[in-house]
Amino acid sequence: MFAVVPLGWLQLKAQKLRLVAAVTGIAFAVILIFVQLEFREALFVSAVRYHTAMDYDLAMLSPKTDFMVSSKQFPRGRLYQVLGFDGVESVTAVYMRLVSWRNPADPSNARNILAIGFDPSEPGFSRLLSAEQREAIKIPDQVIFDRRGRDEYGPVREMLDAGQRVSAEINDRRIAIAGMYQVGTSFGLDGGIITSDLNFLRILPTRKKSAIDFGLIKLEPGQDAAEVQARIREAIPMDVRVLTRQEFKDVEVQYWNKTTPIGYIFAFGAVMGLIVGLIIVYQILFSDVQDHLKEYATLKAMGYTHGYLRNVVLQEAIILAVLGFIPGMGIAHLVFTKGADATRLPLEMSVESAAGVFMLTLGMCAGSGLLALRKLRAVDPAEVF
Amino acid sequence: MDTGTPIALEDVSYSFGKGALEKQILFDVGTRIEGGEIVILTGPSGSGKTTLLTLIGALRSAQKGSVKVLGQELLKASEKALIKVRRQIGYIFQSHNLLDSLTIHQNVQMALQLGGVRGAEAGKRIADVLQRVGLAEHEHKFPGELSGGQKQRAGIARALVNRPQIVLADEPTASLDKQSGRDVVDLIQDLAREDGSAVILVTHDNRILDVADRILHLEDGRMKSLSEVVSEGTSRMLNLLEKHDPHSANYLATFSFALARVAYADSKVSDSERDEMRRILHEVAKLEPAEVEFIMELSMMQKRARAGMDNRIANPALDKDRAEHFLSSLYAIAQADGVTSSEEIVEIEAIAAEFGLASSSNSDPG
Repeated sequence: MFAVVPLGWLQLKAQKLRLVAAVTGIAFAVILIFVQLEFREALFVSAVRYHTAMDYDLAMLSPKTDFMVSSKQFPRGRLYQVLGFDGVESVTAVYMRLVSWRNPADPSNARNILAIGFDPSEPGFSRLLSAEQREAIKIPDQVIFDRRGRDEYGPVREMLDAGQRVSAEINDRRIAIAGMYQVGTSFGLDGGIITSDLNFLRILPTRKKSAIDFGLIKLEPGQDAAEVQARIREAIPMDVRVLTRQEFKDVEVQYWNKTTPIGYIFAFGAVMGLIVGLIIVYQILFSDVQDHLKEYATLKAMGYTHGYLRNVVLQEAIILAVLGFIPGMGIAHLVFTKGADATRLPLEMSVESAAGVFMLTLGMCAGSGLLALRKLRAVDPAEVF
Repeated sequence: MDTGTPIALEDVSYSFGKGALEKQILFDVGTRIEGGEIVILTGPSGSGKTTLLTLIGALRSAQKGSVKVLGQELLKASEKALIKVRRQIGYIFQSHNLLDSLTIHQNVQMALQLGGVRGAEAGKRIADVLQRVGLAEHEHKFPGELSGGQKQRAGIARALVNRPQIVLADEPTASLDKQSGRDVVDLIQDLAREDGSAVILVTHDNRILDVADRILHLEDGRMKSLSEVVSEGTSRMLNLLEKHDPHSANYLATFSFALARVAYADSKVSDSERDEMRRILHEVAKLEPAEVEFIMELSMMQKRARAGMDNRIANPALDKDRAEHFLSSLYAIAQADGVTSSEEIVEIEAIAAEFGLASSSNSDPG
């Protein structure tokens, strides 16, 4: 037996159907919040996949570039200027552009793919490509393919894994696939190829070697990136921006979050989930208080305080939050597992995000409870007689 | 704390509303109720008895006068003080007011845990009190599984588990049939006597008035004496009878007059004699039981007047003041037709002599 009667729990338990409805409603809200927030998170994580994978301490880009896939060019000379600064170890010039890829299994099907070019003797892609692959792309018309690109590019992965030679038409030029790297897709990007600067210019003959899209700057070990960044900024004209890794990622995230409606839509979805949950819990708690007004008035007449009754309602809110969160989280987890397979997006539930959503759920339920409490204020113990 | 009188009311007035809408509900009500005393509070609806009960129960704070409950003055008392008093009172409600989602055990526990009683001690006290109200077997049932009378018993167990010095009951029999109502009232009476609690019982139910040590009657927010209440009710009913069935009225009046003269001529009536009289009135005179009781009561009133003569020294019905009012009023009545005849004076003096009153009151108010 309990030392003290757990009134909130007993009140909830007495109305089984209502409890089930409440828990289902809350679980639904929890799923909605989880999915929206997680998609939003996936958007940001996936948007900076290349920013994360490339090897650099400072990045140089045109001030007109606001996201990776639509980069603007700037003079390559600016990047090489940086080599003269103390603390700079090496630089890598990067060319980037969406090109047209024909599915090798179904050439009538063309699709855009991100083409990246760099000088293989420079170190910017040493984390992404093996030394062997960096050699391979020096051979004309050979590229390395992202094995985590979308399936619409054709069965490239399967064919290469099976030891077959694969070639595809890129911008109407036959190109051989010499290997695979791993990055993955994002909302603006379905797949990618990496090759040498020379091959890049073969695929895109209109591009000039002197105009690059990004410059990757690698510092000597032990250098303070912010300090070197400040020195470079002072000396180099304003026609290029020099950013730390974090700033470079922030520019991209900022674009997707603020400039496109995508970030807003997901945030809005999460807020909607929260509001739906709030209304459901409020409805449940309100009618619960309503149904028990006479009983609560009786308790007040017996000498229970308003504070006690408030705790009963809050106790109910917390129980509902916990009971609704558990199945909600379980289903959301299932959705992410399936969704990650289908979309190749980095959908995974971290402990932090689970804890965050739980706090939101708790706040949502407690908030509804406090709203429902206003009804309780009106309980007059003198009315029980 | 003062362990004397549990409830002391003095000049209590109470109004609802403000300004032009103000409506006074209670007017200068005063009484004292001692431990172990069972007081029934009656009165028509709207007479203010519920308001009075909520004032005594510390469910409202008093506005005027003095409401002392368990030594605590509740005049303009704070919510905190009210709550403290509430915890020392046992409430029995009209419709039991148990919490439906709690078992009987848990319902009683709700009252007990307010007093800080927990654990094994609580379990024992709950079992004890349920035993006392005869619900030991139903301890772990929900209110929905019990009959009306059982629920009311559970309500009583909840009210009494803290052994309160004051028990307030509001129409505890209203939703019960005659027998369950009787059982519930007897139970309240027994338990209150055992615990020495002061009990106030609000009721409309005339069938339970006999458990009262004292009856308080409220009408339009004022206390009325029982004699006033009985006189008013009876005279109104007699007038109705006179108006709608004068024949029966005469028949009953004649019977009671005759009965008083015949049966009480020797001033001694035993219980068995009374039963025999009831039987005769019912079987020979063909009167209904209620009519028999009515005649018995009317003739008893006349017998009491005579008894007043016989016991005038031991138990004077007329003290000095009242004797004077009595005689003065007789002379005034004789004067009512404008002339006081000698026959009238002789009759008054005879009455005065019978009642042992000196008819020296010649200073009639002519």
